[in-house]
Amino acid sequence: MKTHIPLRTLSVLGFTSLWLAGCASPQATYVDPGGSRTITSVGTINIQDYANAADTMVGSLIDGVINAGKLESPGGQPAMLAISRIVNNTSQHVDTDMLVKKIRVALNKTGKVQTTTTMGLGGQAEDPLAQGIKQQTEFLQDKKTTRLPDYSLSGKIIEQREQAGNVRQSSFVFQLSLTSKDGVAVWEEEKTITKQGKRSTVGF
Amino acid sequence: MKMLVAQIKLMLAAGAGLGLLTGCASTVNTVERAAPAGQRQMVSDKRIITDAGLNRAVRIVGVNEAPGEFLKIQVELLNTTSSLKSFNYRFEWFDANGIQVNSPTSTAISRQIEGRESIFIGAVAPLPAAKDFRLKLIESTP
Repeated sequence: MKTHIPLRTLSVLGFTSLWLAGCASPQATYVDPGGSRTITSVGTINIQDYANAADTMVGSLIDGVINAGKLESPGGQPAMLAISRIVNNTSQHVDTDMLVKKIRVALNKTGKVQTTTTMGLGGQAEDPLAQGIKQQTEFLQDKKTTRLPDYSLSGKIIEQREQAGNVRQSSFVFQLSLTSKDGVAVWEEEKTITKQGKRSTVGF
Repeated sequence: MKMLVAQIKLMLAAGAGLGLLTGCASTVNTVERAAPAGQRQMVSDKRIITDAGLNRAVRIVGVNEAPGEFLKIQVELLNTTSSLKSFNYRFEWFDANGIQVNSPTSTAISRQIEGRESIFIGAVAPLPAAKDFRLKLIESTP
């Protein structure tokens, strides 16, 4: 009977050391931003929410405009897109490029759409240097080479919060419109992402 | 006294059972046109099932595609159980050489499916060059 006591002690020590080894894992790890192990919080727009909204928008735009043969551009060139106002109507600070840049990159990769960086809302260019070079070139060549955008992209992000007991719910509504140079909204889409929970959790 | 305790236990068990049944067993009824006007162009598919439980709750019924410059895929899923299930899905795209095509908007998307419900999930290829697809399904982390 006495011989069992050291064995038990050894077992306990073994489990303790394994437990400690398990706890000694690094505090920070890399996760796939497009995977299902990212942090989800109820009250904020998470990285996967932007990707999800952008994915819906790009899919809808490709399906409804490009695949449908409705994208118009002169001489078969890629259509030129200008980014207009994206209004943030949420309670948090949002960099709208978290949504818009993903859409721009995806559209650029289709080979059907290109975005101007020298033309912006209120005359402010996204790339002032490129705008300066273009103006210099036009001055030296003594002719205007400016191609006007075929389309502009505008939108809004809206937030709606609800609470019932200790359950909180947040809805984020992403709205986008593609307007032609005739002033007609040729494509519009809305994506709502709703999250519910009692506290921040890991995973969807 | 023992009889009374046994009766109370029985009533509690019956109540709990009833609560369980009414709380979890909400399934979906549907109605649709008997002879659909649209005809689906079904895709012959290959399935690799590693999670049998997920396959019961999120069963792949069929895959269909739509013609166009950009490949459009739709997958019908059926929950063969009687309870709500949460899952994540993600589409991957491949070009004519089998090389994966990356997209900045590619992400795992969370969905829920009610008991006995049939839903459709779909995606449009990010490039005209994307000729093949792969759909990944994974049970949602609670």
